[in-house]
Amino acid sequence: MAKTIMVVDDSSSMRQMVNFTLASAGYLVVEAADGADALVKSTAQKVDLFITDLNMPNMNGIELTRQLRAAATYRFTPIVLLTTESQQEKKIEGKAAGATGWVVKPFQVEQLLAVVKKVCP
Amino acid sequence: MDIAALQLKMRDAFRVEATDLLAELDSSMLELESRPQDADLLNRVFRAIHTIKGSGATAGFNEMAAFTHHVEELFDEARMGRLIITHEMIDLALQAKDLIGQLLESGNPAELESTCTQVVEALARFLPQSGRPVSKSQAKAGCTPPQRQRHKIFFKPHAQVFFSGTDPINLVDELCTLGDAKVTAQIEGIPSLENLNPEQCYLAWNVELVSSQPIAKIKEVFLFVEDESEIKIESRLEPAPGETAKADPLADFLNIAGQSLLALDGFLSHLRASKESDRDCCKNYLRILKTFQAAAHRQNQKEAAALLEEQIHLLEVAITSGVILPEETKVQLEEGYQKLATLIQSLREQNQGGSKLENPAILQPDVSTVASAAEGSKKEVVRVAASIRVDQDKLDRLIQSAGELLVARNAFPLLAKKLALEHGLSGMGKEVKDAGDHISRIAEDLQAAVMSIRMMPIRTVFQRFPRMVRDIGRAQGKEVELLLEGEDTELDKTVIEQIADPLVHLVRNAADHGVESPDVREQAGKTRTGKVTLKAYNQANNVVIEVVDDGRGMDPTRLKQKAVEKGLITASAAEAMDDRSALELIFLPGLSTAEQVTGISGRGVGMDVVRSNIRQLHGTTTIESKLGFGSKITITLPASLMVSKGILVEAKGEEYVFPIDSVVQMVRLPNERIHSHAQSHFATFRNEVFPLLRLADHFACASQFSEASWPAEVPLAIVQTNRGRIGVAVDRFIGQVEVIVKPMGREFAEIAAFQGTTIMGDGRVALVINPAGFI
Repeated sequence: MAKTIMVVDDSSSMRQMVNFTLASAGYLVVEAADGADALVKSTAQKVDLFITDLNMPNMNGIELTRQLRAAATYRFTPIVLLTTESQQEKKIEGKAAGATGWVVKPFQVEQLLAVVKKVCP
Repeated sequence: MDIAALQLKMRDAFRVEATDLLAELDSSMLELESRPQDADLLNRVFRAIHTIKGSGATAGFNEMAAFTHHVEELFDEARMGRLIITHEMIDLALQAKDLIGQLLESGNPAELESTCTQVVEALARFLPQSGRPVSKSQAKAGCTPPQRQRHKIFFKPHAQVFFSGTDPINLVDELCTLGDAKVTAQIEGIPSLENLNPEQCYLAWNVELVSSQPIAKIKEVFLFVEDESEIKIESRLEPAPGETAKADPLADFLNIAGQSLLALDGFLSHLRASKESDRDCCKNYLRILKTFQAAAHRQNQKEAAALLEEQIHLLEVAITSGVILPEETKVQLEEGYQKLATLIQSLREQNQGGSKLENPAILQPDVSTVASAAEGSKKEVVRVAASIRVDQDKLDRLIQSAGELLVARNAFPLLAKKLALEHGLSGMGKEVKDAGDHISRIAEDLQAAVMSIRMMPIRTVFQRFPRMVRDIGRAQGKEVELLLEGEDTELDKTVIEQIADPLVHLVRNAADHGVESPDVREQAGKTRTGKVTLKAYNQANNVVIEVVDDGRGMDPTRLKQKAVEKGLITASAAEAMDDRSALELIFLPGLSTAEQVTGISGRGVGMDVVRSNIRQLHGTTTIESKLGFGSKITITLPASLMVSKGILVEAKGEEYVFPIDSVVQMVRLPNERIHSHAQSHFATFRNEVFPLLRLADHFACASQFSEASWPAEVPLAIVQTNRGRIGVAVDRFIGQVEVIVKPMGREFAEIAAFQGTTIMGDGRVALVINPAGFI
């Protein structure tokens, strides 16, 4: 069965871009506009992988990671952060919160797919 | 889907969002100008720019992203409190923002390169040191030529590795894809079953990998776990046996120590739990201690070796004596373990920074980057509405259907009546009517919900004006303040789209022509800063937009002169014209009162276009002005173009619909209240006198005055037009109806008397009257 990936980003175009990319590789994609939205949507269906932006209104990516790890369903689910080069410290903070890895924006299509395959083979 | 097609889709998606973001930037940067240290605002601006850069680069707008990076830097500095935003910076940032828009649209971004460079240079002057490295990419791990190498890889994930969502076995599998691999798991760390926590990782792996992949590729496998895992990679060229690659001996020792400690911990907890001391278990423990000690000796870790010696001694005694482990010994073992753990921990800290991987560059955090502290943790004040973009056609189809449903429900009362009267089924008739009422209510809800989809706050139009007014002010040396009111007033999307251009024109006029220069204002006893107010509000089913300035106002006499000079009206017509009508002259094509044509306005094209644009939206434009005090232009628009309520009337056997919001009152007026004077009819009602016209005559031959007698009671619709109330006499009121007004075809666009047509519940067509057309 195709894996379900939730893409969390406040930039709609970024969400769409990730969505196209993943959909083209046969994944099912669910979009969420921020951490709070993602939390709500993650209870409605089982998500196999989260890809989240860091800097978002309402709830940022790090807090989302923390909250997901606190939920029984997603304790071990891979969470990939979308970061920019200038967010080294955030990466560390994200890892401490329980993130699995990261993809650096701007990403190449192949890069994103490689990371998804890596954490969620 | 191939990657090129994907890129194309990405670019489209990005353009749509970028347009929104740029518009938001416009207004938020201006707000920032007045509150340069507002952290929330700075964050908002930064975030928008950041998204444009990040998403843009992903979508393939490389030039744009590279350029945006510089703008982002400026606001990042400000956000971090390292610089304070000034007017000059906002000027530059706005210019940069415009450039970003152009870069997005331009098919050939190289054309804009020189402009971009100028802006970048200007931006650089504001930044603390312009020597900041632009490229932050880390040095790529050295590209080893593709030689076949044998790698000995040791990988011990952190015990809590599962909680980072990583399944270490995936990484081992990934290693195997890189070449020929031999994997052995180290299972020594696994405790006995009762002590086993299934959510912890006790395993480590040794992988012997023969691969021609560069070492960077292998390290990449561990990219996400390298910080908290123990990873050792020893590589040597495959054909050259012998030499072991040099490894960090201390790290080596620490690795063994770490593993041993984990095993010992498992053993101790086992001891604590059981009364019996398991002989095998103790032997196992002893073996681990010995390995550990040997490693300590090799590394010359005397302290550790001594501690271990003690433990080994204790345990050996216990095993040889063959009795139950005395409590005392257990305690000693525990203490010894604690000491060891502390010692190893301190050694580990000393060793910090020592490389676990061979290329330390990979581990080094990028020092040139700026921390984004505390961002995002603050609650964002601006509400971001979650939204879906829907194809407009789909939406229109939905709206059309919902509207038709509303009209179709009108058939129920008719059916009910028919059943009752023609078939004598009054009970059945009532049931049909009830069912109809129910459907009717649902249809109304549906209608309201669907219509609200099309409604958009006028904010989207208003938000461009602060920037525009500011630019005009700066360009002309005027001080103009723009006040916005009622930005949340909602209008149909079509109206929003089409009202923008006329409004731009009006606001421009107000700021450019209306508001005087500060000195002139001062002489006239006004404040130096001129005020332009843009206001929107609801009035009945309409939305009213006012553009008000407190500038010089318009001179009706001069307008008349101008119009005569340009041959737009005759001198005698001008003579007869009152001030109010004179002001209306401004809407004539080709009339401009500006003495000097500026770059912004004053070419005399526009006001006529403004009025005709607004007419197309079934709106009206009125003007008020007082010389020396300013002008006010009022636009009245129907909030929604689609469905509305109407009053169905009959005149000379034809049915017409009055839009309900135009009808003030419906009365049956005794005919003695109707007077005729100078070829016109008038009616008096509630002490008011208003002009009266007969609908039938009006449409039959509009100019003719009919003396035909009035019935004893005249059904009269009192209608509000923008020139006051008038009475419209009809033959009969039929009732209230829901109508979807469909605009008449192009051929009839000139007919001002009707808004359009509508289809009635029984399928007949009726004309919908445009009250403004009565004048």
